[in-house]
Amino acid sequence: MTPNQPFIDDVAVGQELPVVVRNASRVQLFMYSAATWNPHRIHYDVDYARFEGHADVIVHGPLQGAWLSQYVTDWAGPQGRIVSLSWQNRASALPELDYEFRGRVTAVEGDMVSLDVWEQSPDGAVLMPGQAAVRLPSRS
Amino acid sequence: MTIDQGTAAGSAPPSLIPAHTMALVGTRLRGPVTAVIAAKEAQRYAQAVGDLNPVYFDEAAARSAGYDGLVAPPTFVQYALVQGRPIEETRTDGLFQGDIPLDLAVQRTMFGGEEWDFLAPVLVGDEITAETRLASLDQKEGSKGSFVRITRETTYTNQAGDVVARTRQIGIAR
Repeated sequence: MTPNQPFIDDVAVGQELPVVVRNASRVQLFMYSAATWNPHRIHYDVDYARFEGHADVIVHGPLQGAWLSQYVTDWAGPQGRIVSLSWQNRASALPELDYEFRGRVTAVEGDMVSLDVWEQSPDGAVLMPGQAAVRLPSRS
Repeated sequence: MTIDQGTAAGSAPPSLIPAHTMALVGTRLRGPVTAVIAAKEAQRYAQAVGDLNPVYFDEAAARSAGYDGLVAPPTFVQYALVQGRPIEETRTDGLFQGDIPLDLAVQRTMFGGEEWDFLAPVLVGDEITAETRLASLDQKEGSKGSFVRITRETTYTNQAGDVVARTRQIGIAR
């Protein structure tokens, strides 16, 4: 087993997940649009994004969702399995700013761990709240 | 005739959902469409997200993690099913026209979030079929006025007939 593998035996309600910071460059926004065949101009055309009322080009909601998914699967380790994930995009995120991902264990039942996970804006507000469930291996 | 202010304030706001749009709830919006999960596409997606988990890139790592081969990032499956379209079919905002637009009395629709159930891993080489239904349309009253919560549910089924994932995508139209 790899050292970054958590076991169900060691997880307790209230435990906090390590904080991870994500920051999207404009190049990343472009590459994500390309990889997902997404031609929406608000993600690469600043003038058009401002025309729609945004401060700048904006980070794709599903890219932040994919970051949240990665936050959960990285924590669950190679033997862990993500079972469910949901999130709500409350407002837009901008490139070249630091967004923190945080999480907390809310329930442990059998081999299943329930998590509250969320993304915070640079000002500390919860930008994208979510919930996840993962299955973890046991030490025995 | 006098209008009772209390009654006026308490009356229901006008509906943003025409009856012919409400009649679409429960019906199929898209599909079935089928695609084979390609390693290169799944890996480009993972790289664009910044998720370099070895189980997406190294078959030995995937097998030692308990998978039967290279696995795709959990949320990739919906992009594997995106149909290519000519650029001439894009609108001013860049998005493609069509896709059975919902007729609602709103100005714009924003991405509101997603709910996923991951029922089985999606492996490179799997043949996945997707079908999307309009699950619900709910008018809500928020601090910035009325809006419609649109829920589209997509089911992803593999070549063995097993449902591998289900997603409910939330749109906020106001």
